[in-house]
Amino acid sequence: MDFTNFDLDEFFGMGDESNPIMMLIWIIPIIIFVFYGQRIQLLISSNEIKKDISQLEKFKNNSRQKLIDYIKNNLEPKDNPVKKIDSFLEYFTVMPIDLDPNGIIPKINHLVHSREDFTRLQVKSMFNEISAFEISKVHNLLEIVTSLQLFHKVTRHLYLTAKKQKNFPLILPLQMMIPFIMEEANALKDAVESLKNGQPIGDGIGPMVVGEMMLNTSKQKAAFETVWSESKFEGRELLLVKAEGPNATVGRPGEAVENIIPQKKPDLIIMVDASLKLEGEDSATIAKGFGAAIGGIGTERFKIEEVATTNNIPILAIVIKQTIKEAITLMSEDIAKQAQSVRNQIYDMIKENSKSGQTVMVIGVGNTLGILQ
Amino acid sequence: MKEAERKITRCYTCLECKLCKNMAKRKFESNDSVFQNIGKCSECDGDLIVTMIFGETIE
Repeated sequence: MDFTNFDLDEFFGMGDESNPIMMLIWIIPIIIFVFYGQRIQLLISSNEIKKDISQLEKFKNNSRQKLIDYIKNNLEPKDNPVKKIDSFLEYFTVMPIDLDPNGIIPKINHLVHSREDFTRLQVKSMFNEISAFEISKVHNLLEIVTSLQLFHKVTRHLYLTAKKQKNFPLILPLQMMIPFIMEEANALKDAVESLKNGQPIGDGIGPMVVGEMMLNTSKQKAAFETVWSESKFEGRELLLVKAEGPNATVGRPGEAVENIIPQKKPDLIIMVDASLKLEGEDSATIAKGFGAAIGGIGTERFKIEEVATTNNIPILAIVIKQTIKEAITLMSEDIAKQAQSVRNQIYDMIKENSKSGQTVMVIGVGNTLGILQ
Repeated sequence: MKEAERKITRCYTCLECKLCKNMAKRKFESNDSVFQNIGKCSECDGDLIVTMIFGETIE
């Protein structure tokens, strides 16, 4: 290509013979983008975000209505539950001060348990008579609606602030985060049906694996909404722990481990849980590793790690990979079919990592909705 | 219609007889729970246990 006879004036339409309209076509957009570029970007981005915010509002309103309908049609509330539910949705939690992090875990633990106990009492007070199973379902449904309300409020706040200040950089973090927020909101919205019907969710794979191992054994209370039992396997004593099914609860496995270990002194702990898969990984694949496999705010994991470290007990983990949506909605066939394979792998882990005469604790972590033991 | 709106999830319950290992799959019924004893097997009178409850998505 020959650039020797390139004429800059001609290129920009500023030469003597060039058309002034052509010049304006070049110059005006440049001026507009220099002075109003950010505003144009703000307009385009905010339109997309606005659609997502309306979607979030729809999710929140629909799930709230489904909860109200469920209570009215399936349970027998004392009064109209709408006012109480709406007031509950506005409750907030102030996390303990972390300026001095020493001893913050017991404070968080106390706060989380207090909130759970309070919610349970509030739900119970709405009815003359209600089973523990229904309380756990309504409790979980309330948590879903509260989370959706929080997503909607926070997203709307960030969006309106950026618009009010006409500040484009302020909307960038929201633009980056909104796909993740929407993914979680979609999953929460879809979780309502399974919860209402009492059907197992993907997160229940841990309790499902251990639940079968607990069949035909004598179950004892290990902690609040948590049970344990003893079993034998090739000369080893097995201590089996899971949340008490079929309630929609994860129980308190940390507290259970703290209560059982001083009596039984296991030589090995194996934890089974659902785990979020990475993009590109297949759903329902099984992975093994080390350490306490348990999610949540961290207090239960802290307790298990603390008591295992004090007693010098190794912790092995086996997880079943899934997406956030799979974890909180109706269990898929692929995940359910992995239960037996996970069980076989646990037995292999027990044989490989313990000797005959030793004690092994197996903990099934997750929400045990619709899963007995 | 959006992709998500075209999907329908159906819930199924899998049953297994503890004695003859006969397996069956039926639509989920309210109050079904995994490992629940659901009755007697029509073939051998053994205990019929729920082994799985899962969803199948139809597009």
